[in-house]
This record gives sequence, C-alpha cells and structure tokens, in this order.
Amino acid sequence: MAARPRPTSDEAREALRDAMARLAGGDESALEEIYRATRVKLFGICLRILGDQKEAEDALQDVYVNLWQRADRYDPTRASPIAWLAAFARNRAIDRLRTGKVRGGAVAVEEAAPLADESPLADMLLVDAEQAAQIHKCLGGLDDRTQGHIRAAFFEGQTYAQLAEAADVPLGTMKSWIRRGLMRLRACLEASEAA
Amino acid sequence: MSGAENTPEPEVTRDDPMIAAEWALGLLEGEELLAARGKYATDPDFAWRKEWWDNWFAPLTDAMPGAEPSAQVWDGITARIAAQQALAAPADDTAAPTNVVALEARVRRWQWVAGLTSAAAAVALALFAFAPGRSPVEAPAQIAAAAPLVATVPIGETGLRLDVTYIPESEKMLVAAIGLTADGVHDHELWLVPADGSDLQSLGVVAPGEVRSMVLPAAVTAKLSDGASLVLTREPLGGKPEGVDAGPVVANGAFTPV
Repeated sequence: MAARPRPTSDEAREALRDAMARLAGGDESALEEIYRATRVKLFGICLRILGDQKEAEDALQDVYVNLWQRADRYDPTRASPIAWLAAFARNRAIDRLRTGKVRGGAVAVEEAAPLADESPLADMLLVDAEQAAQIHKCLGGLDDRTQGHIRAAFFEGQTYAQLAEAADVPLGTMKSWIRRGLMRLRACLEASEAA
Repeated sequence: MSGAENTPEPEVTRDDPMIAAEWALGLLEGEELLAARGKYATDPDFAWRKEWWDNWFAPLTDAMPGAEPSAQVWDGITARIAAQQALAAPADDTAAPTNVVALEARVRRWQWVAGLTSAAAAVALALFAFAPGRSPVEAPAQIAAAAPLVATVPIGETGLRLDVTYIPESEKMLVAAIGLTADGVHDHELWLVPADGSDLQSLGVVAPGEVRSMVLPAAVTAKLSDGASLVLTREPLGGKPEGVDAGPVVANGAFTPV
C-alpha cells in the first residue's frame, strides 16, 4: 500500500462512494476496499471515544461487520460515505460505552476541552469541507460554556451526569444548558440548509 | 448557575427532535437509550432527525486523530463474517467463493463457529415476524449484533398493545405497557415461546402503564432463536404460581429485527 501513490481526496471520496454502492449490491470484496480506505479514520474515532486499544479494535470490528450486514442502510442522497461511516463508528463506540462493558471516559474533560488544534490530518479522508465549515460556524455561535459541554459530549462520550459533575452544577442545569444549545444549533444549521 | 451570564430564556421542550439530538450527541443512557432505539426502528420521522444530526456532527470527527488498528482486526472481521455466513447457510457449501472475503471466511469457518460464544445472539437476529401497520419485511439473514429487535403484542381488539424492544448486546429488554391498567385481580405475564419446542420461558409480569427494562438471563437469550414468539397470559396477582399451569393466553406477537 505504501508504494501506491496517494489519491487526491476527490478520487478517494469517489472510490469510496463506488465501493459502498458495490457492497450494497452484494459485492463483498468491496468491504476490504472500504476497510483499507477508512480504517485509520474510524479507528481514530473509536479510540478517542473508548480510550482503550482493545475495546476500540472490537468496536472497529463491529463497525465493519455491521456494514457488511447492512450496507443497504447507507443512503447516498443523504450523506457522504465518510460522514456516514464516521457517524456510524462513533455511534458504535458510544454504544459500547453505554452498555457498561467499558469504563470509558478516556480523557478528562479539562484535558479535552481546549481542542485548540482542530486542523485535520492532511492524509485523512475528510468529511465535506462546506459542511464542516457550517457546523463549526454554528457551534462557534454558541456561548463558550455550552459549546465546551457539547464538544465534551461529542469528543469524549461524556454523559449528562459526567458533564454536570465536572462542571459542578446540578444535573438539571446541565441538561437545560445543553438542550438550549442544541436548539440553537439546530436553528443555525437549518437556516444554512434553507439558504 | 445563577451567574449574570444566564439570560432568561424559555424552557426547552424535550420533544422527539430534541431527543434525537441528544442521542446523536451520545447523551442518552439506560432506558432512554433503549426507548430511542426502539423509536428509531418504528418512527421514520425520528429516524430521519437522528440521521440529520449524525450527518451534521460527522465533520467534527475530522478533529479526531487517526490511528492504525492492528492487523488482527481485519482477520477478526473476516472470521465473524464467515461465522455468520455459516450460520445463515449451513447447507449451502457448494457455491464457489467469488472473492477474498468469502475465501478467507471459508478457511476459518469451522474453528470459529466452534468457538463462537454468542451464537445464540447471532441466531436471534434471524427472527422473522410481523408488526401491525407495517408490511412484512424480508429480514436479512443476520443483522447487527446490537440492532434492536422489536415486538408488538396487540391485546385483542382493544387497540392496546405491548411494545417490547430487545437489544442483543446489552441483554436488556424494554417492555412498554402504556395504556394498560391493572384490574386489581390479575397480572399479565409475558412469555417467550422458543422455536425449538422447549418450555416457555417467563419474561416476568408486565407492569401496567409503565415502561420497564429488564436484564435477560443467558438461559432466556439463548432461546431467542428463529421463530420464537411472545405470548401474554392472564395470571393471578404476582404471576403464575409454582406448579400450576399458566393462565389463558390473551395476546401474542413476535420479534421483528430492525
């Protein structure tokens, strides 16, 4: 693989779209192609959420076995393949956290909160740039506190209870902070869709 | 929380779209998570909104550094696929493997099946069933290990029903008996009817008007196999007494994979 010239991100995206379509059509060899193209990104996601190599590898296996089982679930009219796969991987990792098999909470909130450097790795398959800009813009429109909590939930898989404890506020307070944030976020994202 | 930065705002209504957002962010736990998964399976609007949020949040993953998994991961994937293919079509061993996955799968098939610890969970996914108001769906041979199974148990002509959601990986089952009321004389007990003709397994007494979750013992999940269904019987308060036959069946249903 190392000898192969790296495809441009457009080519990579197109190849992935094609492989997803073939997998949905019953071509199982497409799975290996998808795995080669996406494993680094998806494993990074699982590892970030689960904070444990072994758990993250188990979660990653789940992701691809599930994909093989239900490739038809992917709707190309709604999401790019990598966006869908990324969400899928994160959801599976979160499931693992929530079913109580993993201790989780890999990274402390204080440690995770800054995330100053959000410049994506250059050689990774990235989610659509325009879409990325929009969610960052809408998140950025929230007050810092709310934004920080929403990010901690997303990046660390923190629950309401964990967030409330870390911020030393009652659970109900944390819930209403985040819900208000989500409401604003939704309004902002919907406005961008309408534009 | 009473800081000056808190401007008064109207309280947020926690409607379905909000729950979808909380779920997409990963905030739901326990019964709320189970309920959301059940709803995802049966409510297209809710499912749409969940995916809407998933898709919007997805670019944030670009900030998570990538990492290389060990080589065993791919081996594990092909082995698990092989195991599932073996379970799905044990008799059909003649088809020529046409690709790498199938080929590798075949090599590992037998030793893997022998060591499969959650074969029962995998078989449970092959359930085929019906739900009122939905056309019968051709179930894939296997579905995701963690994908919920949903059963609807209509109670006669009353329009009332039990909604039962089972999440294989968590061994948890959620029984929603909303709309049922206790008559003070009877309880209703839910039973699993194994497809292999073995004895009914009690899933416990239904709590009228409540949503309750229970952890299923391995002996029960092992019987959640192809063709298993559910029946609801009328029993004395507290459920079927020891040494007595179960009461009359008042409703039945079966799981459908989602």
